[in-house]
Amino acid sequence: MSEKDANPSAKDALVGGTLFGRWEKLRGREGTVVGITAILVAVFPYLFARAPVVSGFLQGYQSLATLILIWGIFAIGFDLLLGYTGLLSFGHAAFWGGAAYAAGIVAKNVSGDPIVMVVSGTLFAVLLAWVLGFLSLRRGGIYFSILTLAFAQMFYYMAASPLAFLTNGENGLTGVEVGSFLGVIHLEADVPSIGGMLLGTWLYAFVGVFFVGAVAVAYRILNSPYGMVFRAIRENEQRAEFVGLNVWRYKLMAFIISGGFAGVAGSLFTIHGAYVPLQSLFWTESGDIVVMTVLGGAGSMFGPVLGVGLYLYIENIVSTIQALTIPFTGIVLVRDFGFYWHLLLGVVFVVVVWVVPDGLWGILNRLRELAVDLGSKAAKRLRARSENGGGGQ
Amino acid sequence: MTLLETENLVKEFGGLVATDDVNLTVEEDERVSIIGPNGAGKSTLINLITRRLDPTSGDIRFKGESIVGLEPHQVVQRGVSKSFQTASIFPDLTVRENAEIAALAAERGAFGFEFLKHRDSLTDVHGVARDTLDSVGLLDRADTIATDLPYGDKRRLEIGIALASEPDLLLMDEPTAGMSPEETKSTVDLIERVKRDHGLTFVLVEHDMEIVFSISDRIVVLSRGGIIAEGTPDEIRGNEAVQEAYLGGVEL
Repeated sequence: MSEKDANPSAKDALVGGTLFGRWEKLRGREGTVVGITAILVAVFPYLFARAPVVSGFLQGYQSLATLILIWGIFAIGFDLLLGYTGLLSFGHAAFWGGAAYAAGIVAKNVSGDPIVMVVSGTLFAVLLAWVLGFLSLRRGGIYFSILTLAFAQMFYYMAASPLAFLTNGENGLTGVEVGSFLGVIHLEADVPSIGGMLLGTWLYAFVGVFFVGAVAVAYRILNSPYGMVFRAIRENEQRAEFVGLNVWRYKLMAFIISGGFAGVAGSLFTIHGAYVPLQSLFWTESGDIVVMTVLGGAGSMFGPVLGVGLYLYIENIVSTIQALTIPFTGIVLVRDFGFYWHLLLGVVFVVVVWVVPDGLWGILNRLRELAVDLGSKAAKRLRARSENGGGGQ
Repeated sequence: MTLLETENLVKEFGGLVATDDVNLTVEEDERVSIIGPNGAGKSTLINLITRRLDPTSGDIRFKGESIVGLEPHQVVQRGVSKSFQTASIFPDLTVRENAEIAALAAERGAFGFEFLKHRDSLTDVHGVARDTLDSVGLLDRADTIATDLPYGDKRRLEIGIALASEPDLLLMDEPTAGMSPEETKSTVDLIERVKRDHGLTFVLVEHDMEIVFSISDRIVVLSRGGIIAEGTPDEIRGNEAVQEAYLGGVEL
C-alpha cells in the first residue's frame, strides 16, 4: 500500500514526492541496502562513543560497539531460522560457544591469525549444525526446540569437565593470543586519522567488514529461491511438501546456514575478548538470542540487530547507572537503578511484544508508513494550493 | 497408456477398513470422478495415492512404477499433484509467490543449493507462475497477499498452486466444497478450461453430482472402502447398487 502512496506521478515533481518515490524504489535494492549498512557501521562507533553531546548522552564505548556488531551477526543468522523458516532453536549456544572455543583452541595450538580463527570456528559451527540439525529436525514444533536445547546443554557439560583438557573447564579458555591481521595490523590498535575518529580500533573495522558481509549474504539468501521456500515452510509446511519440495532438506539448510552465522559471530567473540567463558555454551546464551531477535522483530532483516543493540545497551550501560534522577534536578527516583536491569529488560520485552508483536522494527515501519502518508497528504495540499493560485491570476 | 494403477490396495485404521481391496486404473487423458457417501473412503484413497498415508497392503503404480515407499514430494516430482479440500495456501505470501513456490519445485526440482542466486534470474519459474495465474484468472491480483483474497479466489489459487507443479495427473479433493453457487460455477468453468487447454488427466472427488456428471469421462463409486460400481456417467445413473449405497435418497 505504501508503494502506491509513494509512487506519485510526474506532476509531483515540485514537492518532496519524487524524492520519496525514488527512495522507495531504491530502498529494496541490494546495493542500496549493503551500502547504507556500510555507512551506518562506519559512523556508529563515532556516534556511540566519541561524538560530542550524542555520545555523552548515550554513554557508549568502543568495545560495546564491537560487541553489538558481533551479536548482530548472530541475530541475523538466528532470524533466518526463527523469523523466516519458523523454527525455534533453543540450542544456538552450541554454535556460538562451539565456534568460540574452536577459534580459541586453534589460536592456542595452531595459529592466532584472525582469519584462520574465523574460518576454523565457522567451519566447526557449520559441521556441528549439520549433525545437530540432522538429529533435531526429525521432530517438529516444541520437540525440535527441546532437542536443540538438550544437545546444546550436553556440549556445555562436556566443555565443563570431560573436555576440560581442551577447554580449561570452569575457568574458561584463557590465554588466547590473537595475532595480527595479515601479519602487520594489530587489531587492538587504533585506525589512523579520520578512520580512527569514525571506526576507532582495527578490531571494530575487522568485525564491521564481517557484519556488512553478513548483511549482504543474508539479504541475498532472502532474495534467492531459498528465501521464498523458507517463508513457504513457515507458512504451510505441509503444502510446501505437496508442491514437491524436499522440506526436510531445506529445513536442514536453514539450520546449517544459521549455524554458520552463529559460527562467524562466535569466532569474532573470541577475537574480541581473547577469552572464551564457559558460559558461552550455557543455555542462557540460547535464550538471549531468542529474546534479542523477538525484541527487535523476528522475520525482518534488521530488526534483530536493533534488538541486540537495545539488549546489550541495557545490560552494559543502563546496568551501571547508580541512581535514577530527574534530569537537571538532584531528585533521586530510584537508588541502585542499574541493579534492576534484568527487570527493566523484562518490562521492555513484555511491553514491546504485547504492543507491537513485530518488535522494534515494526515500530520503525509504522513510523515510516505514517511519514509516507503525511508526505503524500502534504504533497496533495501543496498541489491544490498551486492550482488554486494559478486560477486566481 | 495407463497413468495410475492401484492393485489390491488396502488401508486399515485399527479395526476399520477404510480402503478395501481397491483396484483403480486411470488412463492418460481421462477424467475420472470418485463419488460415494460420507465415510466411503474417498479422501483416504486420495491420501494413499499422494503418500500422505501408508497403505496396509497393495501397490500403487504411476507410469508403471511403484510409488509406495516414496516421500510425498517425490510423488509430486513424478507428476502427481493434489489440490486440497480446504484452501491450503501460503497466506502471508503474495499470490504470485504462491504460484512461484510450486513452479520452483516443478522447474528446479525438490531441492537445490542456489541460496546465493537472486530469484529475479529464475525466468523459467516466473514464466510458469505467470501462465498458471493467467489460466486460473488471478494474474491481475498477483501482488495481493494471499490471505486477503476472497474465499472463492483462495480456492482458485489452491488449484493454481496444484497446476503450477505441472502435473501429469491432478487429484482434486472437492474443489467446490464450501463455495457459493456463483463460485462453484466459475470453478467448474475453470476445470473445464484447464481440461481443454492443458489436456490434463485428473481424478476428482466431489459431492456435487451435477458437476460430476457434467465433466467426467468415467465415474468410480466407492462405498465402505470398496468400489461398488464403475462406468460412464450414463451407466452410473442407472446403476441400482449406487442408488442403494446412497440409500434410496437421491435420484441420480
